[in-house]
Amino acid sequence: MGSHSFITLLLVSAVAVGTPLLFAALGELISEISGVINIQLEGMMLCGAFFGVLGAYWTGGILGGFICAALGGALLALLHGVLCFVFRANQVVSGVILNIFALGVTSFLLSTVLASRVSKGITHLNRIEIPGLSSIPVIGPSFFNQDIMVYVGLLLVPVIWWMLTRTRIGLVLKAAGERPDAAESMGINIALTRWLALITCGCLAGIGGGQLAMAGIGYFTENMTAGVGFIALAAVIFGRWRAFGVLGAVLIFATADAFQIRADSIGIDIPYQFLAMLPYLITLLALAGLLKRMRPPAALATNYHPQD
Amino acid sequence: MITSWLTRSRGIVFAIVVPIGAVVLSLITTAGILLIVGSDPIEAYGNMFDAAFSSPYAISGTLEKSVPRLLPALGIAIAIRAGLWNIGAEGQIYLGAIAATGVTIWFPGLGALGIILAILAAIFAGGLWGAIPGVLKAKKGINEVITSLMLVYIAVLLASYLISGPWSTPGATFPATDPVPSGERLPIIWSNTLLNAGFLIAVAGIGLAWLIVSRTTLGLRLRAIGGNIKASSMAGISVGRTIVIAMVISGAFSGITGAIEILGVRGRLIEGFSPGYGFEAIAIALLGGLNPLGIAAVSLLFGALDAGAAGLQTTGGDVPSSIVQVTEALAVMYVMIALGARTILIRRHRAREALAERLEAPAGEPEPGEGST
Repeated sequence: MGSHSFITLLLVSAVAVGTPLLFAALGELISEISGVINIQLEGMMLCGAFFGVLGAYWTGGILGGFICAALGGALLALLHGVLCFVFRANQVVSGVILNIFALGVTSFLLSTVLASRVSKGITHLNRIEIPGLSSIPVIGPSFFNQDIMVYVGLLLVPVIWWMLTRTRIGLVLKAAGERPDAAESMGINIALTRWLALITCGCLAGIGGGQLAMAGIGYFTENMTAGVGFIALAAVIFGRWRAFGVLGAVLIFATADAFQIRADSIGIDIPYQFLAMLPYLITLLALAGLLKRMRPPAALATNYHPQD
Repeated sequence: MITSWLTRSRGIVFAIVVPIGAVVLSLITTAGILLIVGSDPIEAYGNMFDAAFSSPYAISGTLEKSVPRLLPALGIAIAIRAGLWNIGAEGQIYLGAIAATGVTIWFPGLGALGIILAILAAIFAGGLWGAIPGVLKAKKGINEVITSLMLVYIAVLLASYLISGPWSTPGATFPATDPVPSGERLPIIWSNTLLNAGFLIAVAGIGLAWLIVSRTTLGLRLRAIGGNIKASSMAGISVGRTIVIAMVISGAFSGITGAIEILGVRGRLIEGFSPGYGFEAIAIALLGGLNPLGIAAVSLLFGALDAGAAGLQTTGGDVPSSIVQVTEALAVMYVMIALGARTILIRRHRAREALAERLEAPAGEPEPGEGST
């Protein structure tokens, strides 16, 4: 790869950095459209990373790792659903608590269960080069010579776009997030819709966390997500609750992040903290209305109890 | 039985029984987890208790560790009373710490005056960091949750930049600013222990929070907009201004926490000086029932858990201190479940009473027919 230009190398890193982010943000997109906010996205990713590594160790394979990663994320989604849907807890508060819970549980299990078993790390995901496409100048190596999960993530974007804008599922989700009362009167099961959206989010965020651990370093470290989940939350807002918007936001955030790693090599001296701030800053500005107008789902973060 | 107790018990009984029950239940759950991984929970809890309470030094550690939990939680509770979710206390703590450190760096050698200036700067900075989501909410109706959350990471990264850049100590083994001069440290108030004057500030904070909410017209306005924004607005309350003030006060409580941590505990600005106090404080505000005294009690408990966590390492099988976070999170989850169960049972109870009333309607009226429910 020594012959590649700075831009190519930047994009290669950006796509690698962005994939965990993309999975989590797409999950959050589906969930938010149905009216459920997941501040605990970070915790879901952390559980995904932990159980992904543990699963890969148990099953001896990466696929088993990703299945466990998805289940780890879904576990936190399940707790969120029980607290918010069954016991009517505030979604934001539940999210904050579940982040603390996930950090505590994964750190605890790391030293009691995982560390003693997986010391050498697990096998990495291999790169799959797509013949022809990978030799496209500049973008070829970044998008077409990556591991399988990068392709799955990129493929999910049009699939989710199609699902949200062209199918009945999309309509039902939107109805649940915009006017749950009206939707219920039209025979849509709001509780079921939101449960499914929430669990889907947990699985996708878990897979994102799994990717973070398994495609990169191949083992789990305490609090290894370190804010990625919050950037994914920001990506949904900056992407204006649209699948391709989310992809765009993820690419911008991930490129800024990759730039921070590579800026040194071309002699640019920006403190990395300012580049790392960008996702949060951009999202804040976007929310403040300095960028294009955006409107979250009307019923976002409100619980719905038809019997009241 | 439980149903009738839940629905008929006075609020105050419920507010005391539920948190205590939740804490006990979370300790039992944690004991179960420890048993599963092969540690002795009795030994672990014994060691924790020793580390938190067995000597004046241990007790001072517990008190000192309760301070950075108490002050942000008091501020968060004030915001919640006004119907605002200030999720950004962690960022407000960081900004307070940055401001306090800045004062000690820019105006060295002021002694006690320097301490006061640093604390005022921290209050101002924390308040400013709280004002941003407040203004965005008041002027543009933007939900304060995400904006205050984004500001957390901006503050943390700003601190990280200052620590490793302009304010860094050359040759330090880990990134840190220069130590705060001893004349500008918060004085120790209990000799031979860790307890510094920040504890007194925290105690004053309890009184101040109570005064604000219970004894001022501002408190009345806060509770009014927390109850019903539309009605408050029609009653002539300036909703926007009250929102901003609530967020500023909330941020100021966290800002002063940052100053106490730097001037009283750490002695210098370092990365990760707050391991999530601001997030934990949200749980504490809730577990304490938004009541200053309740919050003080829960902060003491969490401070003791934190201080006690150090004792876990000596437990057989080496119990990691992260189990404490699990216990804390479980306690809050149990409270949420209890509050939810109460709401559901009360609703059901009322619905049943309403139905019974209808069924006992005076003779002559038609019986409710089948299918007419």
